[in-house]
Amino acid sequence: MPPDAPLLAAQNLAKHYKVRGGGVLRAVDGVDLTVRAGDTHALVGESGCGKTTLGRLILRLVEPTTGSIRFRGEDLLALKPEAMRRMRRHLSVIFQDPYGSLDPRMTVAEIVGEPLRIFGQGTRAERRARVEALLAQVGLTPAHATRHPHEFSGGQRQRIGIARALALEPDLVVCDEPVSALDVSIQAQIINLLQDLQQSHGLTYLFVAHDLSVVRHIADRVSVMYLGRVVEEAPKAALFAAPRHPYTRALLAAVPQPKPGAPPPVPLAGEVPSPLNPPSGCRFRTRCPVAVARCAEDDPALRELAAGHRVACHLAEA
Amino acid sequence: MTRLIEIEDLAVSFRTDRGEVEALSGVSLHLDEGEVLGVVGESGCGKSLTALAIMGLVPSPPGRITRGRIAFAGRDLLGLDEAAMTRIRGEQIAMIFQEPMSALNPVFTVGEQVAEVLRVHEGLGRTAARERAAQLLARVGIPDPARRLGQYPHELSGGLRQRVMIAAALACRPKLLIADEPTTALDVTIQAQILALLADLQREFGMATMLITHDLGVVAQVVTRVVVMYAGKVVEEGPVEAVFERPSHPYTAALMRSIPALAEGVSRLPAIPGTVPAPGAWPRGCRFAPRCTHAVPECGAGVPPLYPVAPGHHAACIRHAA
Repeated sequence: MPPDAPLLAAQNLAKHYKVRGGGVLRAVDGVDLTVRAGDTHALVGESGCGKTTLGRLILRLVEPTTGSIRFRGEDLLALKPEAMRRMRRHLSVIFQDPYGSLDPRMTVAEIVGEPLRIFGQGTRAERRARVEALLAQVGLTPAHATRHPHEFSGGQRQRIGIARALALEPDLVVCDEPVSALDVSIQAQIINLLQDLQQSHGLTYLFVAHDLSVVRHIADRVSVMYLGRVVEEAPKAALFAAPRHPYTRALLAAVPQPKPGAPPPVPLAGEVPSPLNPPSGCRFRTRCPVAVARCAEDDPALRELAAGHRVACHLAEA
Repeated sequence: MTRLIEIEDLAVSFRTDRGEVEALSGVSLHLDEGEVLGVVGESGCGKSLTALAIMGLVPSPPGRITRGRIAFAGRDLLGLDEAAMTRIRGEQIAMIFQEPMSALNPVFTVGEQVAEVLRVHEGLGRTAARERAAQLLARVGIPDPARRLGQYPHELSGGLRQRVMIAAALACRPKLLIADEPTTALDVTIQAQILALLADLQREFGMATMLITHDLGVVAQVVTRVVVMYAGKVVEEGPVEAVFERPSHPYTAALMRSIPALAEGVSRLPAIPGTVPAPGAWPRGCRFAPRCTHAVPECGAGVPPLYPVAPGHHAACIRHAA
C-alpha cells in the first residue's frame, strides 16, 4: 500500500433490494467514499438516506449489488472467506443501542474477550489481562468484568461496546450513531473517550450520525447523503462554513440552535421521496428551492469545486 | 396572566421489588394561560411523569401520588373521579407523544380516530365528525386529507403520524397541550416542520403548551419559560433567555457547556462526570452534588429549595441562598 493511499476507498457502491410485489429499493445507489487513515469521516443524512447501509457495506455485513471496496490496499470484495475472516480484525463496529447490542447473559469480561477468543489470541490468562487493560482504557474497572450488561447505565454499556470494538486493535471502526441513544450529559463523556482512543490507538472512524452538532465537533471530513447518494463531501470546516448543495444548506438551517433569539429553524417543505421510485435527474429536486428544468433531466455527478470539496448539483459554482 | 396549571410539592412513588421508590419528589411548577413552557431534563428526571400526573395517567398500581396538589383552572385535578378526568383529558388538556405509532390505534383508520374524539367530546354526528376531521388534517398540513382519512397509521410517515396526533389533540381546542418529546423520533427537517406547525397553532388557538424535551436547541427556539429537572426535582426555572445567558444551577450550566452545539471551537468537551442517578439511588441533600464541581460539604446536608436569582428566575443551589 503506497504511503499516501487512503485506508478505505469505495467506488460506485450500490445496494439494491428486490421488494415483494416487484420494484427495487435503492438503499445505496452509486456512492464513492474515500477515508484517509487517522480521520474521522462522518456520514450524515436523514432516515432512509442510506448512511447505515453504507456503513454495513463497508463492514461487508451486507454484500453490495455493485461497486468495489479497497481497504488496506486490498480488494475487500474479492477476498475469499478465510482471507475475509482474517481481514475482519482490522474492521470493527460500535452500535447505536448499548441496550440491544450486548448479550445480556454474558459477563462484561466474556463480551469484551469474545473477539480475542474467536481469533485465538493468547492464552486464557493473557486474554484476561487484555480484557482488564481494555476496560481500563474505556474508563471501567476490573471489578466491572464479572458483571452483566443490565447492571450498567447506558453510558457504561456504550463503554463496554467500545472496549469490545477495540479488542483486536482494528484500523477502521464504523461508529453507527454511537451517542444518539445516550443522555445529553453522558454524550460528551463518550465523544471525549472516542477522541482519546483515536489518538492513543491511531484509529480511523467512519462516523454515521444524524446529529450535526456532534459531527461538527468530531469529524474531519463529512459526506452528506440523500436518497442513496452522496450529494456533498467536504472538509468539516468548509462544509459548515459554506455548504454548497441546497440539501446541505437546508439540513443545516433546520437545526434549532440552543441560543434564544437565534434565527428559528427553517423547515424544508415536503418529505423524502420513496427510494423505490426516486425522482428522475437530481433526487433532491422535488424539495429543492432552486431547482430548474435541467434538474429533472440530468442526474448531477459529484464535481470538485474547491480542494477536497465535491458537490452533486448543477447549479453549484466554484 | 391567568394561572392555568399550578403544581405544588408533587411526589410520586412506585412499588418495586426493592420496595417503594420515589420517582418524583416535591415538584412545584406553574403555567399561565397561553404560555409555552419547556420542561428539560435527562431520562429518569421525572419530566414525563409530571406530565402523566397532570393527565391523571400515572399507572396505578404500581404508581401512587404520595403528596402534592395539581390545580387546573382553579380545579383540584387530584380530587376528580375518573369520569370527570376523562372529560378534562379530552376537552381541556391534550397530550402528544414522542412515538405517535404507539399512541395511535393500528386497527382503526386515521379518520376514525380523529372523528372519534369529535363524536365523543363534541357530540358531532358521523358525517359532521368526518368533515371536521378532514378540515383538521388539512389545518395541520396533511396533503390530500380526504384520502388520508381512509388510511391506517402504518401507511403514514413518522412526520405525518405526528401531524395526525396533533390534529386529534387539537380537535376540541384544549386550553393546554402537553407535548412529550414530540419531535425526538423525527428527522431534523421534519422536526423543523412540526415545530413551525406547533408554533403556528399555538398562536392561532392561544393554548398553553408544556413542551417536554431533552433538546436544548428545541427549548431555545420554542419556549418562553423553562423548567430544568434533575433526579425528580426542579433545579432551575426562569425565562428562557435568562436561563441560557445566566444558567444558575451548576447542573444547567454544566449541561450547556457539555453540548457540542455550544462548545464551538473547543477540542475537548467539558463533560459532566459520573452518571444520572436512578430513582431509588438518589444521593442525600443536593442530588447533583456528587457530579458538581462546586460541591461543598453543606450540599449533603439537606435538599436545597429554589432560591431566587432574579425576578422569575430560581435555582435550587445553596450558592444562591441569601
